[in-house]
Amino acid sequence: MEKTPLHPIERKVLASLADGPNVFERLVSSSGLLPDQVRRSISWLSSKALVTTTEVTSVELKLVASPPELVFLQSLREGGGESSVARLRNALGEDRGFGAAMGRAISAKWVEVKEGMMGQIVLLKDQEAGKDLEGLVVLLKKGVGEAGVPEAQRGTLADLVKRGLVERKETKTVSVTITPEGAEALKSAEDQGFEKLTPEILSSVRATGLDVKLRPIDVSASAPAFHPGRRHPVKELIAEVREVYLSMGFSEITGDAVQPAFWNFDALFTPQDHPARDLQDTFYVKGVRDERLSRSGVVANVAAAHEAGWQTGSKGWRYRWNVEEARRLVLRTHNTAVTVQATRDSGGAETRVFSVARVYRNESLDYKHLAELHQMEGIVVGDGLNLRHLMGVLTKFYGRLGMSGVKLWPSYFPYTEPSMQVMVYYDKVGKWLEMGGSGVFRPEVTWPLGVRKPVIAWGCGLERLLMLRLGMEDIRELYDNDLGWLRERKEIAGTQDIL
Amino acid sequence: MERLTGLPKDKILDRLPYLGLDIEGTDKESVRIEYNPNRPDYSTDYGIARAMRGLVGTELGVKQYHAAAGKEQVLADKSLAKVRPFIACAVARKLTLDEETIRQLISMQEDLHNGIGRKRRKVAIGLHDLLPITFPVYYSAKDAKFAFTPLGSEEQMTIEEILQTTETGQAYGHILADTRAYPMLYDSKGVVLSFPPIINGLKTKVETSTRDLFVDITSTDARLGDEALAIVCSALADAGGALETVTVSYGKKKVVTPQLEPSRMKFDGELAQAVTGLSLTKKETRDALRRSRLDLDPKGFAVIPSYRVDILHQVDLAEEVVIGYGLDKMTATYPPSGDAGKFDPHASFLEGLCLTMAEAGFDETMSFDLVDGASLYGNFRRSSDSRLEVDNPRTAEHSLLRDSLLPSLMAVLGRNTKNEYPQRVFEAGKVFARGGSGVTEGVSIAALSAHSSSSFTEAKMYLEALVKKHLGELADTRPASHWAFAEGRCAEALIRGTPLGYLGEVKPSALAAFGLDVPVCGFELDLSKRSKPQG
Repeated sequence: MEKTPLHPIERKVLASLADGPNVFERLVSSSGLLPDQVRRSISWLSSKALVTTTEVTSVELKLVASPPELVFLQSLREGGGESSVARLRNALGEDRGFGAAMGRAISAKWVEVKEGMMGQIVLLKDQEAGKDLEGLVVLLKKGVGEAGVPEAQRGTLADLVKRGLVERKETKTVSVTITPEGAEALKSAEDQGFEKLTPEILSSVRATGLDVKLRPIDVSASAPAFHPGRRHPVKELIAEVREVYLSMGFSEITGDAVQPAFWNFDALFTPQDHPARDLQDTFYVKGVRDERLSRSGVVANVAAAHEAGWQTGSKGWRYRWNVEEARRLVLRTHNTAVTVQATRDSGGAETRVFSVARVYRNESLDYKHLAELHQMEGIVVGDGLNLRHLMGVLTKFYGRLGMSGVKLWPSYFPYTEPSMQVMVYYDKVGKWLEMGGSGVFRPEVTWPLGVRKPVIAWGCGLERLLMLRLGMEDIRELYDNDLGWLRERKEIAGTQDIL
Repeated sequence: MERLTGLPKDKILDRLPYLGLDIEGTDKESVRIEYNPNRPDYSTDYGIARAMRGLVGTELGVKQYHAAAGKEQVLADKSLAKVRPFIACAVARKLTLDEETIRQLISMQEDLHNGIGRKRRKVAIGLHDLLPITFPVYYSAKDAKFAFTPLGSEEQMTIEEILQTTETGQAYGHILADTRAYPMLYDSKGVVLSFPPIINGLKTKVETSTRDLFVDITSTDARLGDEALAIVCSALADAGGALETVTVSYGKKKVVTPQLEPSRMKFDGELAQAVTGLSLTKKETRDALRRSRLDLDPKGFAVIPSYRVDILHQVDLAEEVVIGYGLDKMTATYPPSGDAGKFDPHASFLEGLCLTMAEAGFDETMSFDLVDGASLYGNFRRSSDSRLEVDNPRTAEHSLLRDSLLPSLMAVLGRNTKNEYPQRVFEAGKVFARGGSGVTEGVSIAALSAHSSSSFTEAKMYLEALVKKHLGELADTRPASHWAFAEGRCAEALIRGTPLGYLGEVKPSALAAFGLDVPVCGFELDLSKRSKPQG
């Protein structure tokens, strides 16, 4: 059998047995352990043959009442060894066994009875009378069991039991005996060193400069579970994306989630009857509008661009633009609602900004759709920018997120031309994946905002990439907030892959 | 497609994305694709094949479609001037319509209805067997009692009945909700061709035996009607039909349709070069445009076929150049580096708070900004008077903008009762309220701790640590009332007298409402003054 180091509890139990066999109850009191701990360690120890157990019967004794002859003797001694019968009868009472006590005292030759002036007198003859019985009563009052009564007093005890003055109660218990192997194990455990360092031990170490031994422990034993606090995986990827953008010289912009439809749609040259603007696809805030929005300044330019192209040379969408439609408040459907405002704010100056934020779609939730998700969008405003620069930025951006190739396919967005769908090669899965859109803002978008330089723009969802990183199939799991998953999930950075 | 393009399947699959077509799925017989709404001419295989032949170079330039002068006439009167004033028509003869071709035509019709037609509101298309029609055809208003046998029925129905009982009547009847003049297209013998934009008549139904087709397109915008008709006619011609014009008379004014002449737009080569980053010769540019099935005439005008309804501006031509040239031949170049970037300081501040909470052993959760009424209001027994609702949400679970993160965190705990305790969670995010221009957005961070001995003191311990680290000051607490916390176990946190948020033990009725068997304590801090709203 392989020797495993003794557990501290086992060690305590063995130590309590070093001086001889012991019963369970006394092991508990002498070891200072809980009954359960003792019971379990006895079972381990006996399975390792370090102790043997035998079942023994122990007898508890309970003194029901003091023997009357002792009261009789005590009363006699209080009278200086001499007392009238009447006083003794009075002191004990007939009902408390005066007669029986008197009889025993006489037959044991403890006393003599004489006739006196006032009646019979009792004289104490034997000064040691009742000492033996008294000793037994003291033991009984201490609660000793039968095994604790000396052989010489066993007869007296039997008499008390017979007289109903003492009750016997038999209980079965376990007696534990240390085996030679157990004694050896205990000895070697004691040689193995300290269980735990204490200030005293450490001060002796300081004094002597010598190391002390610590008891070897079972290092394969399980430790309690611990969960460090963790960030949400979406937030971790957002942090990574922010770093990537920063490393490319982009500055972060933020904006409101609730936007006038003007910024979410109109400023992005999305006609007012475009299907994307339907209630079916977009969340509008009920009963609230941006009443400050009016057809003047930038808004008037945008309106004119919709209707007939304004100064851009475009045909426009050729319909009557309505300010009321632009005043509706919408939960932004894309962060282009924020980047287009940064385009206006640039005033045409060289600008590189990004936004990683939540967008909202009126969708039913299923394994690949959410009503709220995150997009990471960027724009560059600058002289001479073209489609090749857009490809360059996308290649670097997605490259730093772990994707080794970028290709563009034609696509369509109302606000960009050319519009490109971005395909990226993700080495981890060995496939080309669709990863968002990109393009050059149309003049119908930028000119009304006062920007005539080219603006390249792109964006993509964050959750899709995160699911690939985590190997997930169901997008809803990201927002279930199941603590089991949040605590146990793997790292998004894929350190497992690196190692 | 293989027949229409003369290309093998793998080549077709390889090139489809370069036309802007998304391959959704493939099987032995077919490829399911999705096209973008700017190219309604891709609504049939004919349209896609036309573009594909250009891209691979087997057929270049503008494909000319011609409609022979026909003799058929449609008479439109003023009765529909305020409802659906315009009608454009065409005839296509000598077609061979198999099941597949009919399926293509119906699918094109549906796509045009939904796209250009804006769910039939602006444009509706009818395809008819020409044979049973006796010209001239009339386009005029009828009242609700007018009856005919619509497609899908065997008996006559009144307009009223059609609007109330048929599927399309219920789906599109709202378009005619404001009028009693119902558009009707019928022939000289009273045979009804169509009740636009709801349903066609039964008598002119198109079958595989149909040889000659009559097309009607009614609209609220004549331009859109003409564009839709050009797309339909191009597809019918590619399907082998011989096109003929139809004369539509609006009183004395006569309009001959379809109009299939290409349009012209002055081509700005410099702009195309600036947008694409390509340096192409004039010939290369023209070749690229011809691959995109456009052309460049000797006077420097781009020639645009009538079915291309998406060219609004020079930049649209630039895109045609790049598609024709081949996006896969483009090379990337990184723009000259600019200044160093910087993070939004408010976002970074909030990120720092989140890191501290995680370091303190709290798990970060992320919940939706749109929540349900029970978790936001009902479970806390508080008034929903100042609620912010969204219109027409798909589910009630996402119908209200939250004004606090505590309900979301309680819902998280309620869903996690099977997981190990203690549970400590936090969330940082936007909160919404009425005000200002309608809605004001704030930023808040909230944390909850759930376990058998959680207490006010624990909440205060974490709050104080967080505030001291990030705001550099100690927070005071004073007794307060808050809808989430129990009376007597709730405090307001302040910094030098300025309110910062609330902390406390969550009130027992809320614990019960969220199904929790353990006490929960926590806090929510309003960071709006310290951190601007962030994603």
